[in-house]
Amino acid sequence: MRRLYSVGMRYVFLALIMVFTLFPFFWLVFNSFKPSREIFTVRPTLRIQNPTLENYKWAMGPKGANLGRYLLNSIFTAGFAAIVTIIFATTGGYALGRFLFRGRESIAIFLILSQMFQGPLIMVPWYKMASALGIINTRLVLILIYGTATIPTCTWLMSGFYGNVPEDLEEAAMIDGCSYFAAFWRVVLPLVIPGIVAIGLYSFIIAWNDYQYALILTSSDFAKTVQVGLAELIGFFGKTSWGGIMASGVLTSLPVVMLFVVVQRYLVEGLTSGAVKG
Amino acid sequence: MSLLKRLSHRVAYLFLLPTLAYLIGFQTYPLVENIRLSFTNLSLIGRESVEYVGWENYRHFLAVDKQFWSILWNTVVWVFGSVLFQFVLGIPTALVLNMRIRARGLWRGLILIPWVMPVVVVSIVWKWIFDGQWGILNFFLREFHLISRNVIWLGNPQTVWPSLLLTSAWKGFPYITLMVLAGLQGIEKEVYEAAKVDGATGFRLFWHITLPLLQPTIFVSGLVAIVTTWTKFELIWVLTEGGPGNTTSTLATYIYTNSFVFYDMGKGAALAVMSTLVVLIVSLFYVKMLRRSSV
Repeated sequence: MRRLYSVGMRYVFLALIMVFTLFPFFWLVFNSFKPSREIFTVRPTLRIQNPTLENYKWAMGPKGANLGRYLLNSIFTAGFAAIVTIIFATTGGYALGRFLFRGRESIAIFLILSQMFQGPLIMVPWYKMASALGIINTRLVLILIYGTATIPTCTWLMSGFYGNVPEDLEEAAMIDGCSYFAAFWRVVLPLVIPGIVAIGLYSFIIAWNDYQYALILTSSDFAKTVQVGLAELIGFFGKTSWGGIMASGVLTSLPVVMLFVVVQRYLVEGLTSGAVKG
Repeated sequence: MSLLKRLSHRVAYLFLLPTLAYLIGFQTYPLVENIRLSFTNLSLIGRESVEYVGWENYRHFLAVDKQFWSILWNTVVWVFGSVLFQFVLGIPTALVLNMRIRARGLWRGLILIPWVMPVVVVSIVWKWIFDGQWGILNFFLREFHLISRNVIWLGNPQTVWPSLLLTSAWKGFPYITLMVLAGLQGIEKEVYEAAKVDGATGFRLFWHITLPLLQPTIFVSGLVAIVTTWTKFELIWVLTEGGPGNTTSTLATYIYTNSFVFYDMGKGAALAVMSTLVVLIVSLFYVKMLRRSSV
């Protein structure tokens, strides 16, 4: 009896936690299908009388939020940020995960420290640097600054992935006459593709979700990301078009939520490895 | 000794070079440049020449600007409040998700949604939930007769902080859950069995066995959470822009407003340097923890 009770409690707690966690997300998606009339009501309802796609039309259409262009900017910057991260993290991670060399520990510490100093701490010099280089208000500057946020963590994650590849493989390849780089390129890299996919998607998510860097470094329609566009909507339409803003929010979060489902398993393992060791 | 380990260090350095160059150029250099700029009167508008003004910017905040100290206090409330509530939510959630329940993998995945959602979208949802006129929070509290009149949660100095901290806790607790779950899985089953033989159950088991064993995990993830909250102003910016008045301004939003709203980048840089010092101290502590645990 007591055991049954405790099992029951388990599910009560689980239900409470899940409702708290998921309700805001549900509320966002749910309201995005309501017509204005049903959104601005004194008694919010859990049933939509006239479900509508109006809000989504508003989000994408020229009369409303016109998100299309910003979504493309975001896909472009986040995609390239992922590629840049992959290039630097696969090489740096290989050195850290495979070789014992003088200064290895200092470099590991340097990486850990780099990921700490973000956002407001480096904003002013970055703005000045970008202006001096003439790349302010471009997608390039965002790609470059996102690298500073993603490369340290991803290099670290990659070194873990390399650690799982048996060393004999490279040794065999080198005995067969491959150079270091050929062994790396042809033998090792293909084996860490799951890792590459994981860090690529992780960087994509980080870059996609960023607001603070894009807010400071971009303002024109050619470079602005969807997060900046979305935040501006609140100021412009916050009193009138909540349904449309919600639909825009859904369009902005859906890609990352879906990507995350794909990449979750690999990432969780890598990101928590520090905790388990502790 | 294996072939690779015998290898010249040269190859390793060659592989590391691009990453190091990138980070030194785009991450370390800005931090140093920041220090230099903090001694200048760099501005985005008006002034043609940039002059060195010595400690003037620092003196301004530490001695002249009356808001600085209250903003510093806000930052402490914001950072420690957020992290505290993230643990208050995160640890019990991890405990539940570590129990034997149906579809556990699914729940463990879904719990991470707040963490992976873009912060702007999170702010939008909560802004709507907190809305003074149409918000569902007011509706529920009215239904249960906890309030008689609508509260403008984000517009009232008394309620704005609890509202922000709730949002921040919701956004950040999945990370703590994730880390604590990993920590829980590292605890040997034998430890619990031994404790149960000695008659410990339920809460006492948690308090005397689980919590002490989780201590390293809690420290490490806590320090990361502190730094992450310290260096982000997005949530506050979208929800309140530091208002009403300066009630919810923190160092991070203040750096932004000084540099990019008032265009006084020298002052912004000075604030950033002070902020960096705090992060540096926390980070060194973090590195020390990591090194101790990996030995």
